[in-house]
Amino acid sequence: MRGDAVLRTQWRFGWMRGLPWLPLLVLGAVGAFAAGGEWFLPYDPNELDLGASFKPPSWQDGGTTAYLLGTDNLGRDILSRIMAGSRVSVIVAFYAILFSGSIGALMGMIAGYFGGRVDAVLMRLIEIQQSVPAIALALILAAAMEPGLSTVVVVIVLTYWAWYARIIRGEIMALKGRDYIAFARVAGVSTPVIFARHLLPNIFNTLVVLATLQVGQVILFEASLSFLGLGIQQPDISWGLMLSDARQYITNAWWAITLPGLAIMMTCLSANVFGDWLRDRLDPQLRQL
Amino acid sequence: MLLKVENLQTHLHLKRGVLRAVDGISLEVGEGETLGLVGESGSGKTLTGLSLLRLLPKGSGRIVGGSVALDGQELTTLSESAMAHDIRGKRIAMIMQDPMTSLNPVFSIGDQVGNPLRNHEIARGAALRSAVVDVLSRVRIPSPDKRLGDYPHQFSGGQRQRIVAAMAIGCTPRLLVADEPTTALDVTIQVQIIALLRQIQADTGAGIILITHDLGVAASLCRRIAVMYAGQIVETGPVRQIYRAPAHPYTQALLAAIPRLGQKRTRLAAIPGQPPSLIDPPTGCRFAARCPVRMDKCAEAPPTTVLGDGHSAACWKLA
Amino acid sequence: MSGFLARRLMQGLVSIVGASVIIFLISRMSGDPILILLPNDAPPSLIEETRRNLGLDLPLWTQYFIFAKNALVGDFGNSYRWEMPALDLILDRLPATVELAIFGLLFSVAIAVPVGVMSAVHRGGWIDRIGRVFAMLGQAMPAFWVGLLLILVFAIHLNWLPAFGRGTPSHIILPAIALGWYPVAAQTRIVRSAMLDVLDSDHIRLSRALGTPERLIVWKYALRNAAVPLLTMLGVYFAAMLGGAFVVETIFAWPGVGRTVVEAVFSRDFPVVQAGVLFTSILFVLSNLLVDISYGVVDPRIRDAR
Repeated sequence: MRGDAVLRTQWRFGWMRGLPWLPLLVLGAVGAFAAGGEWFLPYDPNELDLGASFKPPSWQDGGTTAYLLGTDNLGRDILSRIMAGSRVSVIVAFYAILFSGSIGALMGMIAGYFGGRVDAVLMRLIEIQQSVPAIALALILAAAMEPGLSTVVVVIVLTYWAWYARIIRGEIMALKGRDYIAFARVAGVSTPVIFARHLLPNIFNTLVVLATLQVGQVILFEASLSFLGLGIQQPDISWGLMLSDARQYITNAWWAITLPGLAIMMTCLSANVFGDWLRDRLDPQLRQL
Repeated sequence: MLLKVENLQTHLHLKRGVLRAVDGISLEVGEGETLGLVGESGSGKTLTGLSLLRLLPKGSGRIVGGSVALDGQELTTLSESAMAHDIRGKRIAMIMQDPMTSLNPVFSIGDQVGNPLRNHEIARGAALRSAVVDVLSRVRIPSPDKRLGDYPHQFSGGQRQRIVAAMAIGCTPRLLVADEPTTALDVTIQVQIIALLRQIQADTGAGIILITHDLGVAASLCRRIAVMYAGQIVETGPVRQIYRAPAHPYTQALLAAIPRLGQKRTRLAAIPGQPPSLIDPPTGCRFAARCPVRMDKCAEAPPTTVLGDGHSAACWKLA
Repeated sequence: MSGFLARRLMQGLVSIVGASVIIFLISRMSGDPILILLPNDAPPSLIEETRRNLGLDLPLWTQYFIFAKNALVGDFGNSYRWEMPALDLILDRLPATVELAIFGLLFSVAIAVPVGVMSAVHRGGWIDRIGRVFAMLGQAMPAFWVGLLLILVFAIHLNWLPAFGRGTPSHIILPAIALGWYPVAAQTRIVRSAMLDVLDSDHIRLSRALGTPERLIVWKYALRNAAVPLLTMLGVYFAAMLGGAFVVETIFAWPGVGRTVVEAVFSRDFPVVQAGVLFTSILFVLSNLLVDISYGVVDPRIRDAR
């Protein structure tokens, strides 16, 4: 009976083996800040206090524990702003991945399943999409549309759908030849049902892995766009935007440059590590990405 | 004596245990002589060849005992850099099995053949070039001076094996270790390679150790053979004598397993059973489990009985 | 092989044309360019006349063909902001961007190759482990932040290197590092993986058996084989450099196409934006095409394949 209990314990905790807890902690914190909003913030992130401007972080000379991570040029608390900025990251990541993933996966499924000319058209579209660098595309779009959160999401969707489409297309093409698909068609099952009941569950793992792997890149991309001024606009807060502001007074406040960037890096790193772990467990073939 | 190996022991330290791959080998090769090292896969013959050059898998392979003496010089105690600089490619050279993968695809054959000459300071500059041309023509590569800049993929399999041979003999080694040089080639090329090896021996007087599982190839090139089984040598002697009258039951079984024209048999005569695990080998005769004439005494390691004229075998039946 | 190349060139052409369509359409999305050109209180008749002059009253398709036709001869119109042809402006800045991209690539390769080789040779050793940690970190840091940090440390704090502009050789150091930072991780992985494969191969074993010193084996005979996958990918990485240049040039005030386009976006200078993005796309497509060409150059086996 002892042997049996050991087996069962292993089974129960097997999936948790090697779970990267630190990245998950960071991601959890980001999510909490994003969702919890005002609960966590020590200060109103947009509250100006010119008298308290350029305060260094609390562990430096001149810093106080009132402002743990210091203040920026307008006296705004950096810690609160960093926490508030997480909301943008989460929202952008959510919508961007949702849309690019759905559109990309759908197109990949259609191309992979129907093949032939449909597939050829899709591949051409992917090539064309990949002929314009993402930032350049973002620049034009920002020139044409009003810069803002929706622009960022649109740009990311237009950039990443092809990534999903290509990989899903490959998987579908492999699945297409399986027997149960053939049976379903012979039995007269309609195509949408085949898609939903037979194909989708099989690519689900891949989709999850792709989505998690994309999180880090989305965060970096949004930060870059906001930094350039094409993404999130004042008074909304984004880490990239914080860095863009801080650039002007870089000589006065090194912490305003370093700390928001650190937030970007930690979040992106955690997402990448978690994404890698998930990929190794769910779909190791994607490792060549 | 050109090469004298005494009680060589090479172990592989694996995760599942220590594999005693070469467990007490003794053999001799004289000047200008060809010794065939014959055995099935896993018998330890390749590892024996590698042990002579101390080319064991980094970290896991180790020579744990015995001696290897080339022209009287002990090789097991030399430093790694001395092995690389003085012995490998210079006094002992090796030819490996698959010519298709033995040559570096992104370097010209001129560079690859010249490399050992350069490393062992045999020649440089213009003299190097003519030395390379010379050795390539010795292995019968046509128009070598024009082909120095060519790449391995521009040559056939047989030619590639010759190029490998050229790399090996460039520094006129005293001993050539050929590890299954004919296995990856078709029969017509095999004949050419065997002729090539014979010619090399005639030209340079080098000794050759031919490692093979093919008894026919061994017979066509070697004057003496040593039969290996499970990390040990079970029989040594002149090839004609062994083939005519094999003394050890394993050798007998091997020879009996070769199908012959005119034989009325529908099944190949195989040796039943498997070779023993070398992680925990039996203390007695290692062939005992599969031996048709096994006795109780075989639980003890059999002594090597000299049967006359350089022919010896390790079997209780002969003691 | 030339058939294959011809096909790839055609694909590249199609991609460029497609890119031009995208660029054209998006620019037209922005609303009436007239309103940018003319002052707000311009009389409607002037607006109509300007519109007709600029051909903006024609159907979209026709407008595109005019755009394409003009683009082919290099006419992108004049910059709204500077009184000069948009094309000249872009071409003037192009060398600076290419130079930055090349140096960025050189930097990343200069790090990736030694680290990748040492990681493979001493697999599991400290270089391997530290290298992997740095690679992970590097892939999580946005290029613009790297640039800002570099400026903070090397230009402001230590005052060793200049932070802005282009001029002396030392001006390119920080921008090149910021640009080349991101791909180091991927390139190191490629080199390491390729080296591990090669070091295991028969020809390396033979080379070792013939007494070649280990140093030569690793850095000459193994590396050249391992370099093949990296070299063939260089085109892709160069293209990535072009993309990253937009941000890096902005930070370091590097006078290249990227910074020009970013500024043009903010001043709504459409001809410049169009010309800049189109040219970048052309370079982008060509660089990716380079991958297929370089396969033939780098690997002698494919070079001779009929």
